Amino acid sequence: MALSREHHAALFECAPGGERPCVIHAVDVKKIYGAGENQTFALRGATLDVYKGEYLSIMGPSGSGKSTLFNMIGALQKPTDGRVYIDQVDIAHLDHNELAWLRCRKIGYVFQTFNLIQVMTCLENVMLPMSFAGMETDAAREKAVTILKLVGLGHRALHKPAELSGGQQQRCAIARALANSPEIILADEPTANLDQRTGQEMIDLLSHLNKTLNVTVISATHDLKMLQSSHRILWIEDGRIVKSAKPEELDFSSSEFH
Amino acid sequence: MIKEQVQLPLHVALTVAMQGIRIRFGRSVVTILGVALGIAFLMAMLAGMALNRGVAGEDRARAEARRMLNFLTVESGSLDGKTASIICTGPLDPFEERLVGQLSAAGLEELRWTALAGTPPPAVSSGAPFRQTYLSGAGDGASALIVMGAGPPPDIVWEPVLAGMRKQLAAFTRAIPASPPGDAHTTIVSLSREPSADERERAAAEKRRAAARQLWVIVISLAVTVIGISNAMLMSVTERFREIGTMKCLGALSSFIRMLFLIESAFVGAVGSVAGCAAGALFAALAYTGIYGLALTTRSAYGQLSSLALYAAAAVAAGMVLSVVAAIYPASVASRMVPANALRSNV
Repeated sequence: MALSREHHAALFECAPGGERPCVIHAVDVKKIYGAGENQTFALRGATLDVYKGEYLSIMGPSGSGKSTLFNMIGALQKPTDGRVYIDQVDIAHLDHNELAWLRCRKIGYVFQTFNLIQVMTCLENVMLPMSFAGMETDAAREKAVTILKLVGLGHRALHKPAELSGGQQQRCAIARALANSPEIILADEPTANLDQRTGQEMIDLLSHLNKTLNVTVISATHDLKMLQSSHRILWIEDGRIVKSAKPEELDFSSSEFH
Repeated sequence: MIKEQVQLPLHVALTVAMQGIRIRFGRSVVTILGVALGIAFLMAMLAGMALNRGVAGEDRARAEARRMLNFLTVESGSLDGKTASIICTGPLDPFEERLVGQLSAAGLEELRWTALAGTPPPAVSSGAPFRQTYLSGAGDGASALIVMGAGPPPDIVWEPVLAGMRKQLAAFTRAIPASPPGDAHTTIVSLSREPSADERERAAAEKRRAAARQLWVIVISLAVTVIGISNAMLMSVTERFREIGTMKCLGALSSFIRMLFLIESAFVGAVGSVAGCAAGALFAALAYTGIYGLALTTRSAYGQLSSLALYAAAAVAAGMVLSVVAAIYPASVASRMVPANALRSNV
C-alpha cells in the first residue's frame, strides 16, 4: 500500500516540489447512485486540483452534483470510479480508521444546516472533535474557548444551539471545523440558511480565516457575494465541471448572475 | 502521513454516553418507560403466576383441613360448646395449621394445646382461646383428642390422658402408633388419607396443564417485552442518525459510536428493568389483593417468596439483555453508515 501511495504521488501535476502545493487532487471522479434502470449519475467525471491556502468556490444549480463532489473530496463517501487524493494520499486506500483520522484532523466541515449537536453547548460542540482526537479535556476546553473567541462567539460559549441565532450557530459550526487545526475547511452552502447580512458576515469570517490561518477553504455556493471573496470559481453542471474562472475575470453585472 | 485514529478509552465513551442520557433526559425517560413497560408486563404475569400457585395451594390446604374436620365430627358429633385437645409432636404442615384454625373457629368452648416438642400454637385470627396445658391435663372433659405435628408418634402413657375424657376419641393426622392407645372403648380415627389412583392421575394431569399454561404465558409476555423494548431502542437510535453522521464527520470511529449506544442501552435497560420489575410485582400484588384480600395474598406471596425472587431476578436480567441485544442491530447499522448518508437521513 505504501508503494502505491508513492506511485500515485509521483503522478501528481502539483507533486511536492511543484509550484504550488496541492491539497486535493481529484481525477475523473464519478459517482453513480442506484443500479440498473434506477441508475443516477451524480458525477460524470470531475477533475480538479485545490491548492494550499486557496479560497475556492464551487457554483452550480441544485442537483448538479455539487454536494456529491463535496462528499467525495471531503472523504465522506467513496467515488464509484476515479481517484481522490487528499494530501497526496488516495482515499480509496484508506481503511475506516485512517478515514476517521483524516476527517478528524485534516478537514473541517461546515454544513448548510449547521449540524451542531443540539444537546451540547457551543463549547462542548467545539470540544467534541478534540476529544475524538484524544486531547485532554482541560487542554481541549482552553483551545475551544480561544477558537470561539476567534469566531466572535466567546460570550455564547455556554449556550446551546437552540438559544442562538442562525448566524451564531454557523459561527459555532465554523469554530468546530477549526477544532483540530485542519488544513482544509469544506463549507457546503454555508450561507444558504442565513439572511443577507449574516451570510456576508460568514463569508468575511471564512475569508479572514483563510488569510490569517492560511487554511484552504472550499465552499459550495449559489451566493454571488461568496464569489467575490474567492480566489477561483468552478462551475459544475450535470455532473461535470464546465468552467473555471477568477473573480476578476467575471462581469457580475452581466445577466448570467441575475 | 495519514495515521490511525486514536481508539478512545472506555471511560470517554462512558462519559459521553452518560452526558447524552443526562442532557436528553426527557427522551431517556421515554425510552426507560418503554423498557419498564415491557418488563412490568412480564413481571406482572410471572408474579401473578406465583401468587396464583400460592392461592391454589392455600385453597387446597383449606379444603383438606375442612375434610379432616368433617371426618373428626362424624366420630365426635358436633363440637359446638365442647372442648377439644391438641397434642402437638412437632412443626405443623399447612393442612394441620388450617385444621387448627378451623377447629378454633368451630364454636368450641375451649381448645387445649399440649406441645410435646415445644411448638407454639399457630396464630389464628378468631375463635376459641388456646389454653396451653401439660399432658396430665390434656384429656380432662375433652370430647376429642387430636394428635398432629411432624414429630415421631408420641410415646406416652395414654391411659390417664384418655381416662378423663367425656368420650374416648383419639384422632391422628399422621401415622397411628404401632400399639394404638386405649382399649375397646377408645375410638381411633386416622384423619390422613392417601389419595386414590384416580385422584393422583387427575392431579398430575392438572399439573401438566398448569405447566403448559405457564409456558404459554411466559412466551407471550416475553414476545410483548421483546417487541416493546426493541421498538424503544430502535427509535432512540434511528432518531439520532443525523447526529451520528455529524460525529463521524468530526472523526468518531464506528466502534466508538457502537460503544456509545451499547453503554446507553445497558444503562437504560438496567434502570427500566428494575423499575418495571417493581411496578409489575406491585400491580400483580394489588390485583390479587383486590380479588382474594390482603391476608390471603400476603400469605401466598410469603409462601412463594423464593420463586418470586427468582422471577424478579429473571425479569431484570431479561430486560437488561434484551435492551442491549435490541440496540446492537440499530447501533451497528448506524455506526457503519457512510457519513454522507447519515447526514442526508431525515429520520
